[in-house]
Amino acid sequence: MLANLGDWLNDRFGWRGIWEAIFLRKVPHVNWFYTLGSASLFVAINQAITGILLTLYYVPTPDHAYDSVVYITTQLPFGWLIRGLHHWGASAMVVLVVLHLLRVFFYGAYKFPREATWMTGVILLIVVIGFGFTGYLLPWDQRAYWATTVGTRIAGVAPYVGDFLLKIARGGPELSAVTLARFFGTHIWVLPTTLALLVVIHLYLVIRVGISAVPAKDE
Amino acid sequence: MSESDKEGKEVGRRNFMKMTIVGIGGLITAAFGIPAVAYVMGPALKQSVGEWIQLGSVTKVETGIPTLFKTVIQTQTGWITTDEEFSVYVLTEDGQNYVAMSNVCTHLGCRVRWVADQNGFFCPCHNGAFAKDGTVTGGPPPRPLDRFESKVENDILFVKRG
Repeated sequence: MLANLGDWLNDRFGWRGIWEAIFLRKVPHVNWFYTLGSASLFVAINQAITGILLTLYYVPTPDHAYDSVVYITTQLPFGWLIRGLHHWGASAMVVLVVLHLLRVFFYGAYKFPREATWMTGVILLIVVIGFGFTGYLLPWDQRAYWATTVGTRIAGVAPYVGDFLLKIARGGPELSAVTLARFFGTHIWVLPTTLALLVVIHLYLVIRVGISAVPAKDE
Repeated sequence: MSESDKEGKEVGRRNFMKMTIVGIGGLITAAFGIPAVAYVMGPALKQSVGEWIQLGSVTKVETGIPTLFKTVIQTQTGWITTDEEFSVYVLTEDGQNYVAMSNVCTHLGCRVRWVADQNGFFCPCHNGAFAKDGTVTGGPPPRPLDRFESKVENDILFVKRG
């Protein structure tokens, strides 16, 4: 019955071919360092799930942001867990993608024909850092406020265009409701769509050109 | 070791890996799914505790005519505490027993008002009509106006909000 349904769907969608291409492809004999990319993807999915759940209660305005975060953490069942997973997942994400990059770098895995995989990966690292930067402001507590004050001021020291960049980042000369709203919008719409698109390209390339073998000792 | 034994062992390992992956995947799904469901349903499952609300002096109530009492109560929704207007119609026929009725239409929740000329409650949304004791006299409401438990202490009227 179930097999028949699977055949019926396969005749129309061809999902078995896709399944084989993704999960049954040949890979070289590799080591545990090669799991860092998958680990990053796993944490990214964790961030997506817990992030969506957080938006059900979080309100990105100066008069509600902090209170809604406190409400999530202290009043809702498992709110502490959902927020905790998102909070610690954010740090894990940065650590994992950096380690993933280091592995690719030191194994020379960025070389032909995998340059495009590397380039999308580098943009993904920047996107992940963007997530960290915008997400840090959202609890709207003292640490968030001053970290963002400092972070945006760093953009402000760029020569000539610095002041302009600072005003774009803050949505004005000072941190305000506008800053919080645009950081939130960037954090939940701009960056996730960019990340999803790049992850799809990155994984397509991983499957298309394959992964590199562990370099031999005499290479 | 014969060829068939070796093959059997290979299949065994493959199946073991499959089962392990499905098992761990199931555990992870449950670890996310169960807290997520509880988290989403949390506010809906919160039990409200009945509290006595002071309405005012019973002397205000005219015999045989529903009298509107308005009071402001504080409600806590999520992380926001708001002042909410709370209205109750109080009816007495003998000056001793009081009936406290909600002004919320039992049809879809609009507010009803007492229309003295027509001797009834009317709801503007879908023309629901109630008699002065709250029984339905016309329109779509499925049941009489809800009643609150009430008490009188030192000529002050209280209702219990649940």
